[in-house]
Amino acid sequence: MANAEATAEPRGRRKNRADEAAGRGGAWFPNWYWPSFSLPGIIWLLALFVMPFYTVLSVAFGTVEPLFRSPLPVYQPWWWSFATFSETTQKFYAGNAVYQEPLIRTFIYVIAASTICLVLGYAVAYYTARYAGKYRVLILVALVSPFWISYLMRIYAWQSLLQADGYVNDVWSIFAAPTNWLSGKPLTVILGLVYGYIPFMILPLFGSLDRIDQRMLEAGRDLGASPARTFWRVTLPLSKPAILAGLVIVSLPMFGDYYTNDLLGTQRTSMLGNLIANSVFQAGQGPEAGSLTVVLMVIVVVPMLYYLRETKRAAESL
Amino acid sequence: MAGKHPMDGSPRRWSRRQFLTRAAGGAIAVPSMAAVLAACDKPGTAPSGNGSTVTDIPIANPDDRVELPLNGTAITTDTPIEAGATLQVYNWDAYMYKAVLKAFEEEYGVTVEWTTFNNMEEGIQKLISGQVQPDVFFPTTDYISRLVQGTDDGPLIQPLNHELIPNLSANVWPSFSDPGPYYDVGAQYTVPYTIYTTGVAYRRDRIDDADADAQGYEMLWNPEHTGEIAYYDSYRDAIGMALIRNGGTDPNTGDPAEITEAKEAILEIVNDLEGSLRINGTYAKLPEGEFTVSQSWSGDIVGAKWYLPKGTGQDVLGFWYPESEPGLIGNDTIVIPTTSQSPRLAHEFLNFFLDEKWGYMNFADWNGYQPPFTSIDPSSLIDDKVVAPTLSRAVVTEEMFETALIQSQLTPEVDKLWLDAWSEIQAGG
Repeated sequence: MANAEATAEPRGRRKNRADEAAGRGGAWFPNWYWPSFSLPGIIWLLALFVMPFYTVLSVAFGTVEPLFRSPLPVYQPWWWSFATFSETTQKFYAGNAVYQEPLIRTFIYVIAASTICLVLGYAVAYYTARYAGKYRVLILVALVSPFWISYLMRIYAWQSLLQADGYVNDVWSIFAAPTNWLSGKPLTVILGLVYGYIPFMILPLFGSLDRIDQRMLEAGRDLGASPARTFWRVTLPLSKPAILAGLVIVSLPMFGDYYTNDLLGTQRTSMLGNLIANSVFQAGQGPEAGSLTVVLMVIVVVPMLYYLRETKRAAESL
Repeated sequence: MAGKHPMDGSPRRWSRRQFLTRAAGGAIAVPSMAAVLAACDKPGTAPSGNGSTVTDIPIANPDDRVELPLNGTAITTDTPIEAGATLQVYNWDAYMYKAVLKAFEEEYGVTVEWTTFNNMEEGIQKLISGQVQPDVFFPTTDYISRLVQGTDDGPLIQPLNHELIPNLSANVWPSFSDPGPYYDVGAQYTVPYTIYTTGVAYRRDRIDDADADAQGYEMLWNPEHTGEIAYYDSYRDAIGMALIRNGGTDPNTGDPAEITEAKEAILEIVNDLEGSLRINGTYAKLPEGEFTVSQSWSGDIVGAKWYLPKGTGQDVLGFWYPESEPGLIGNDTIVIPTTSQSPRLAHEFLNFFLDEKWGYMNFADWNGYQPPFTSIDPSSLIDDKVVAPTLSRAVVTEEMFETALIQSQLTPEVDKLWLDAWSEIQAGG
């Protein structure tokens, strides 16, 4: 049909379009055809991101119902009040800055946990991709299978392992005095985060390391590089996009995580997510919860933008 | 008009695509239209449904007894029991014996659907938002007058018909039925569910009774128990006890200095003593041995025996409550929300739990929280093996309510002071 059009009207726009169509394999589509494929994605984004986030803004900049002081979202931007928001953000730096410690804590825990995830995850992914041979599928299944059990159940299991008379202390007490692992120890919370998120680090790393062309490594060795040098100069740079992806995938949800600390820590190890979770249902604190969510949002956008920039660069350099 | 189909009037038929685009546009347009309509009034500035403002809400306390305004009417006595209904019960987690619920289901041939909340604020917010639409709800006393006042959509709880709850006058302490409690004189909206004191629970295998008696509240601040201290994560109870421990006499104080001191005392538990703010410290984790001392409602420690590991005797559980000076005391209530689809059945439910046999079974065989029944002789609870002998101070009597300290409703201004202090505690400062 496209060809018929082309012969009937050989000049102008239609001709070009027909040529293009021929180039694409003969089919011609109206202008809206390809963009329309993004519709499900756009609806998804609108319904599950834009609208909820707008509601969060409306709560943050809204008010509270006077009697029960439950949040009353204000959907009209011209009536937004930024009083609670500025009061909340000031708690991060001004006066006695009560939220500063949880903020610093959140950063320390997330950076520490992500780093541990990377180091352990890289080793596991490297071994699985390069040396596991016929066991690689088995290893991958073993890595994913804990996810068949709900995170909550697994953390409850950790609770009983870590409690004062639990198995962890039984082993620990061989080397040192038994410790109260659940009494607000940063280490417990960090390891809880590592435990919860490390598979999300391993899987992208495995995918990337598995795809590295063996011949590149052989070329490195042929040109006289030691195994260590080959790793630093070839393997590591080639897996950099996966490292970044893994770091983003694990650290973004860690920033908002609150249940790990809820179940394995105390208020001494409160993170930003805990502040939000605690204020959501507290009378009169709804706008504060919304404001904290906006703050968290701003914080996680920074690593996200860095990631996007880096992946774009990586794509350009290929 | 006759025989004309409404669609015939439309100027043209919509193609399927037009329909889809318009329907999608409509779906997006609906909330924004609603917002525009709502824009006539800025939220929060319109007067509430019945024209009264927050300042009109009575702030009840034992010295200022409140007879609540009659907001709505009770159902009539001849209302039939809703046969085969599903009764929605909205209660604190683990605060009712499932076997008694089962007995209620069997007696009335109905189904009970059980939904729980973890703290009062969560319960109230979900009730207001309509996320949960219960037939029976269990609020603390400081919320009653606000629930009667309600929201723009009207009151949240309904008056009770006492003729349908004969057990209230037959079986409940007069102070809760007639004249009725300070927060609801005449018991127009509420029946009492349980009574409790707030003291300190401890492991008797680690602290002996004489030592506990000498230390009192200070057990919770004793560095010897670092890492083994639990405290409630409910702001009224947490700050309330810290106020009394610091030497205060008013558990509802509005004095900023006292509140700050109480906050610092709790932060000391969290930071220096590695304590944990949680709801299940006393009833679950102290019997398991995780904690040595914990802030404790009397009912929590009485019910804790069900959580003892095999082979651990009940005598490891101890409870301290001040004898010479007044301590904290309170009660919980049962109400029928206006959302109730089965108000008559809900009345039966209230009556059922005020029944000597079932109310007692709920208390003795699981809950641990004492109901204020005239039929229960506090002095025999130990002989009847309901309360362990080592927990004798967890028994509540009617006289205790005359002298003890009651946590009552705070004014919004004072409440804000408390909540600000509480969010600092949550941040672990």
